[in-house]
Amino acid sequence: MAPSAAANSPPSPENTECNLQPFFVLHKALPSNSERKSMEKTASRKRTRRRIDLSPSSPKSSEQSEAEFAGDHHLRTDAFRYVWSKIDSTIKNVLRNINADVFNDILFWVQESFNTTCSCGMPDRAKATRSYPVVTGPLSKQIYTGLVFTQNMELVDDLLTFKDLGLHLTSHGCHVANLSSFDFSAKNGIDGCLRGLLRQFLLANLDVADMSILASWYIDQGNYENPMVVIIDDMERCCGSVLSQFILMLSEWTVKMPIILIVGVATTVDALSSILPSYALQYLSCHKFILGSPADRMEAVIEAVLVKQCSGFSVGHNVAIFLRNYFFRQDGTLTSFVRALKIAIVQHISMEPLSFMLKGLSDEDSQDLWSESPVFLPELFKRAFDLPSFRRNELTETNEEILARGLSDLKRLKELWSSAVMCLYEAGKGHKITMFDLYCETLDPELHHSRVSDHHLGLETKVGMSSSDHQIRERLQNCGFIHQVIRKVRDLPEVLLCQLLKNWEKHTKGIIEIHAKVRELQSSLKFEDDKGLKQGLTDLSKRQKIQSNFNIEKDAKRLNEKTTELIIWMVKNYMLPIECIPFHEIICFTNVSKLQSALIGDPRRTIQVDLLEFHKILKCKCCSKSGNNPLPSMHDTSIMYVLTQEHGDLINLHDWYQSFKASILHPRIKRKHRLKHSPSPKKKMDTSESRKKSEASVQAQFSRAVTELQITGLLRMPTKRRPDYVQRVAFGL
Amino acid sequence: MGKEESPQVVTRRTTRSSSSSTPNSKNLETTKSCNPQPMTINDLVFGDEHISFDDLISSLPGRRSQIHELVRLLGPLNSPTIPLFIYGGTSTGKTSVVLQIFRYLNRPFVYTSCRTCYNPRVLFESILNQLSLHRKDVGNGYSSAKRCERPSDFVNLLREALLTVVNNLKGHLENSSSKKSIGRISGKMVYLIIDNLELVREWDKSANLLPFLFKLYAILMLPEVGLVYISNTSPDTYYSDTGYIEPIPVYFPDYTEEDLRQIFLRNQANQKLYSSFLEVVLRPFCRTTRRVDELSAAFSPLFKKYCEPLSDLGISPSEEMKRRLFSHLQPHIMPSLNEVFKISSRPSSEGESNKEKANRQGCTQRLRGCPAIDEIDFHMSTSAKYLLISAFLASRNPATLDASLFDSTGGSDNRKRKRNSSVKSMEHKEAAEQELLMKGPGTFPLERLLAIFQCITSVEEYTLEEEEPGTNSLGVESGDSGLMSDVLLQVSSLCNANFISKGGSCPLDGSTRYRSTASEDMALKVARSLKFPLSKYLYRR
Amino acid sequence: MGRENLAGEALILLRSRLCNPKFVFSPFSDSADSNYSKLKFILSSSVTEACNNSVLLLGPRGCGKNAVLELVIEDLLKEYPDMISVIKLNGLLHSDDNCAVKEIARQLCVEHQLLFSKMVSFDDNTQFMIGMLRECGLAHKTVMFVLDEFDLFAQGKQRLLYCLLDAMQSVTSQAVVIGVSCRLDADQLLEKRVRSRFSHRKLLFLPPSKEDLQRLIKHILVLPTDSSLPHDYVVEFNAKLLNILAKERFKQIIDTLSNSDSTCSNLLRFLFSAVCHMDLKSGFLLIENFKAALSSIQRQPKLEGLKDCSILELYMLVCMWRLEVREQDSYNFNSVMKEYRSIHDSFQTSDYYARNVCLRAFEHLLERELISFMDHRGHNQSTEFRPAKLLISYHELYQGLKSYRSCPAILQKLIDRER
Repeated sequence: MAPSAAANSPPSPENTECNLQPFFVLHKALPSNSERKSMEKTASRKRTRRRIDLSPSSPKSSEQSEAEFAGDHHLRTDAFRYVWSKIDSTIKNVLRNINADVFNDILFWVQESFNTTCSCGMPDRAKATRSYPVVTGPLSKQIYTGLVFTQNMELVDDLLTFKDLGLHLTSHGCHVANLSSFDFSAKNGIDGCLRGLLRQFLLANLDVADMSILASWYIDQGNYENPMVVIIDDMERCCGSVLSQFILMLSEWTVKMPIILIVGVATTVDALSSILPSYALQYLSCHKFILGSPADRMEAVIEAVLVKQCSGFSVGHNVAIFLRNYFFRQDGTLTSFVRALKIAIVQHISMEPLSFMLKGLSDEDSQDLWSESPVFLPELFKRAFDLPSFRRNELTETNEEILARGLSDLKRLKELWSSAVMCLYEAGKGHKITMFDLYCETLDPELHHSRVSDHHLGLETKVGMSSSDHQIRERLQNCGFIHQVIRKVRDLPEVLLCQLLKNWEKHTKGIIEIHAKVRELQSSLKFEDDKGLKQGLTDLSKRQKIQSNFNIEKDAKRLNEKTTELIIWMVKNYMLPIECIPFHEIICFTNVSKLQSALIGDPRRTIQVDLLEFHKILKCKCCSKSGNNPLPSMHDTSIMYVLTQEHGDLINLHDWYQSFKASILHPRIKRKHRLKHSPSPKKKMDTSESRKKSEASVQAQFSRAVTELQITGLLRMPTKRRPDYVQRVAFGL
Repeated sequence: MGKEESPQVVTRRTTRSSSSSTPNSKNLETTKSCNPQPMTINDLVFGDEHISFDDLISSLPGRRSQIHELVRLLGPLNSPTIPLFIYGGTSTGKTSVVLQIFRYLNRPFVYTSCRTCYNPRVLFESILNQLSLHRKDVGNGYSSAKRCERPSDFVNLLREALLTVVNNLKGHLENSSSKKSIGRISGKMVYLIIDNLELVREWDKSANLLPFLFKLYAILMLPEVGLVYISNTSPDTYYSDTGYIEPIPVYFPDYTEEDLRQIFLRNQANQKLYSSFLEVVLRPFCRTTRRVDELSAAFSPLFKKYCEPLSDLGISPSEEMKRRLFSHLQPHIMPSLNEVFKISSRPSSEGESNKEKANRQGCTQRLRGCPAIDEIDFHMSTSAKYLLISAFLASRNPATLDASLFDSTGGSDNRKRKRNSSVKSMEHKEAAEQELLMKGPGTFPLERLLAIFQCITSVEEYTLEEEEPGTNSLGVESGDSGLMSDVLLQVSSLCNANFISKGGSCPLDGSTRYRSTASEDMALKVARSLKFPLSKYLYRR
Repeated sequence: MGRENLAGEALILLRSRLCNPKFVFSPFSDSADSNYSKLKFILSSSVTEACNNSVLLLGPRGCGKNAVLELVIEDLLKEYPDMISVIKLNGLLHSDDNCAVKEIARQLCVEHQLLFSKMVSFDDNTQFMIGMLRECGLAHKTVMFVLDEFDLFAQGKQRLLYCLLDAMQSVTSQAVVIGVSCRLDADQLLEKRVRSRFSHRKLLFLPPSKEDLQRLIKHILVLPTDSSLPHDYVVEFNAKLLNILAKERFKQIIDTLSNSDSTCSNLLRFLFSAVCHMDLKSGFLLIENFKAALSSIQRQPKLEGLKDCSILELYMLVCMWRLEVREQDSYNFNSVMKEYRSIHDSFQTSDYYARNVCLRAFEHLLERELISFMDHRGHNQSTEFRPAKLLISYHELYQGLKSYRSCPAILQKLIDRER
């Protein structure tokens, strides 16, 4: 089990997201043909997979990676720590900002409804703990319920959100209990649900759970100052009967205990009605709150993390596209996206020797980039200067300041690029042009090269501007989003236009050349419209007014033209994809295949391969030579698995055991036996031969190996109907 | 159940102004010093102050005869009584009537609801706690007075507790007869009220429990104990094999339209206005349901609508104003007739980030009504969508048709196959439809789901490519294998989202079988969002 | 208003009589061939002759088995003081052997002023019981085991019964086992080893005959002259009562009552509610009170439920009934909905509602238990797919629709046409 275990449960504390992976394995282990489908993959994958699973900090990985020289190991690790901490904090901030206003709405609503509950009268202590329900009106049995729509089928992203919501409410003085669907399981029933509730509120474990306990507890908390909020984060998974029972029970205590429900709904409102019967539904008076959809979150995250460089790290075109597709096609969780990003960073840092400069680069002062590692300075230069991106523009002399300059304008160009992308995004915001697509497209090198080609002739003739950008428009026809954006800009109404310009001004702050142009445009816009205004005031004759309006129209059109030109110009000159910049390898991760294999590699296959070709992992001399026939020195489980290969999908336990025993005790004779299938003579033979291994120990090994195979999901244990057969559930690679 | 007593509201207002303003502070320091006042025997009567018979009647409209009958059956002071069985539909005021009657009679009683007390142990212990004047709190670690699980123990403990209480009451009677000031508690009888009795039938081991509860009076043989059972269902739904000693039935019929009108008119600010409103709405709504709670839930938003044109709500509407209001209300009646459940979403509750989603979902607010919009309003990944569709197909189509619908070439030539299949389907269309209506979506093993998924994706991949203009540069390496990556995770998350329900395992082979619970319009919407020709693959549709 | 107080006192007296079974069944004690005398003979003989014995009291519920037994035991306790100790068990409480034995031990301890500990094991309790039996036998003290709901003891391993009856085989012990059951075949439920040790004495309790009923009513309702009540009032009361009892209408009432259920308990409930209907102003029982009592006792829940239904729910019911008429073996909400649509399409009814409202009406019917699901399996399936069935007959439905005020004419038509 050892190798496979290493393969699917990462030891490193850093990439904790990968803790999902054993779960992942168990899921994939279920059916036989699913993995048969996912089997057609290159065998190279397993190696890479193994590498990234072991964290970069462990020496093994760094020695497996292409980085040879040893000392920079710690540099890389803290470079990683630095980058990742930055990105992580950024993401957290973004998410918090997205949720903030919804949280505030919810809080407001909670307090509001609590006040309405109290306004219709609260019983005093003596009544509140009595057993009979207090009824003040036809609607007094209604429970205030907030339906929080997490517009994502997957729950993973929102677990944290609901926890935060709980904290947010608690910080404002509510008593909060966070229940999950496990408290509403059909197995434990209403009892378990109440237990969970009491555990959350009372922080105590009681032998019998009962609502009256909760009531008296609440009274003890100083009566009727704060509402009690019960948060159920995933409504879809709850057992309907238990949930409805719970609701009915609450409805008996409504007036005595102001309990407010907050229910997370992943899919649609209909889910609620499909779970709950009408007699439970009628007790809920629902309000709706909508969390930011995963797409919005993704936009924000992309913008914060990848476009406006929070950390120096960035990804290449293909990687971006891969991430995009992974998000939209595989599973649309932000969690998996973040995991992918993290893996990318890990791989980048473990593979790219110069990646340790990331830290220095992203710091403001890029002077002492390599001062931390004076030891292997020439080495570093050599590496830096035979980066393909540097050799592409054939500069002969290679010295320190070129590198310095290269790095510095690497930074500058990135900033230009990001501001340009932001401008595009601003322009395309209202029109369903997502950041992600825009991002992927602006990273595309060949699109850029196409632009650049006529960019040259655009420069050499000032007058030919119009023609050139006409051609550019030609070019932009075929590439989707930027072109759409530009079209949008062209027919933008005036108000939006100046607003857009305002935003642009904000975005291009710090980049002098663009900023100036934007400013100029803005001023002209101001001039335009107050001129138009003046005209409208001065000459009142209808004809002139019409005419004036007309040329106001014209001015507006001209303005749009100007803006369009500006943005085209920006796209042309300043939006240089990262992969076209020299030295980009230092900060940019481009290796899709590794990332893909790391992200959606399939562990079952890896397990099988490891079991079959184990000697590649434990590099022992003894069994590397023996091709595929089991030796006693091999690991039991792999012996077993090798033996499995010659059976069909049903394995007779006895034969299996015999061959296993034989292969442990005496390989050669066992091979003879494999030719003629009669286990009987073998027995006395090996009993005669080997005293050292007792039958019992062999059986012990055998059974342990079988359990391990079962745990890894390669076997199904004997059933009632065929007690002497195990079933193979993994076939072929 | 019933929710109509105005005087209680009023009285509570007064009590709150008088008692609960001072007690609040008192309770505060009691909670600080953490010694709540001990319960006395007076805590066995209804808390609020005494009401006369007239406001008892007036507070519960439409229940005059039932109140009379109950008071008669409970009889004069200290007169033994045979167990009573009060039954009637939901929200017909059973519980409130009983409670108010006991408030009027000022007799000690013990109330337990089998809903809050969800198993025998909780039921027994709650009764015993109340009888022994025990309150769970921090001091005793929220534990009950006596631990009691078995009926046998319960009977012994109950007898003890009852005897002590009855003796207390007698002593109380003597010294209260001397000086009338203390204790408004009257009589030396104790009444056990057991509510929601119908729930006991669902409990396990109820086979013995129910007859036991019915026979409790005969088992105790204490004349000072009165038993009152309250149930939603009539006595004939309780027959066990050897029967039981029947209590005296008291029936609470559902409210008539007139009763409902009175109930709704009570504690309304503007009686005239509301009555004119009721004239409009009450009759049509009563045709669907006659339950107070459901009706009032439906009325409260409608009345807001009704009042919208009015400047001040104090006015008594004239005829033509009524007509105007009615014409204003008219369009809203029919939709709210056809919805069972309304979600109010306040405009403030959406940030401007998702405004358009908000008004997109504006029309999905009707529960169980099919939302009229085309796109699904929550995020699913493409593979999850394909899985959902294939699950839908797998549970709608008969498994025998899979071969003809999805062949290896992915249904490229499945038009002619489709035709003969539909010809075959024509004769037992009726039966199949009936069967679908009956069994609902069929179950399927995981393998079949995956196979269909494979076919669909293999067909749809290349069509997908040219269908999405922007992504032809982007969708480079997201091939079939890309979609296949972790389908099983997707399956599990679909299960979690209740689009696929995991059924029992098939008896032949141990594999679990699945069933798609996604509604048809949901599947159609998903298919539309993928531009997937669902109808082409759907059997006889 | 003295008359009202008098009436109140009389009412309390009557009520306490009605609630006290011993009083009710005392008139049966005198006649020689009554169960009372037989049982008393058996028990007293086994007390006097110091022998073991066992007897079964069988009969439908509410025929006074327990009451008579109580009477007998009371008398015996009077006649033979401190020679009898009574242990009472109830099948509803003690069908589990363990707690039965525990309960026996507890009561024995109470009887003989021993202290009882809960923590004792089953075997120790059994040992204790047998030991006590022996002791009582030596002390010539009869232990009477009264096993109410005897049939419930017979389910399971019957270890308790076996212990008891086996202990009684020994000469030293001196005990009587009295089983009370409403199952006439209670002794057939016993295992062979138990039955062989059981003496098959059975006393059969039957519902009273008409004369007995009359006697009973008189016995209960006639006020005693020798009481705190003033004599003239009592006389007047009794006179009025007697001529009511003599009336033909009253006899009819009693007949209708006893036709449905002629047991004593039923009569008691009837009399109780009749007494409760007594008007305190006049202070006398009237024939109307009895009529009201009859109507309040004899109810037709299904019809009441039908009256409570809303129009839409009636539609649902009629649709289901039509489906049943068509011999559709099983149907569920979806098919009902289909039927409902078809009715609407063919007749253009005014009230046609959305599916969800109909589903709610369907669930209301389920709550009223006018309809129910076929099976209790398939909880994982949603409501609209589970097969359902009507719980009311055509006749009831017909009656209900007839008596329903403002019932849509179309429903009447449908139900008339389909029959």
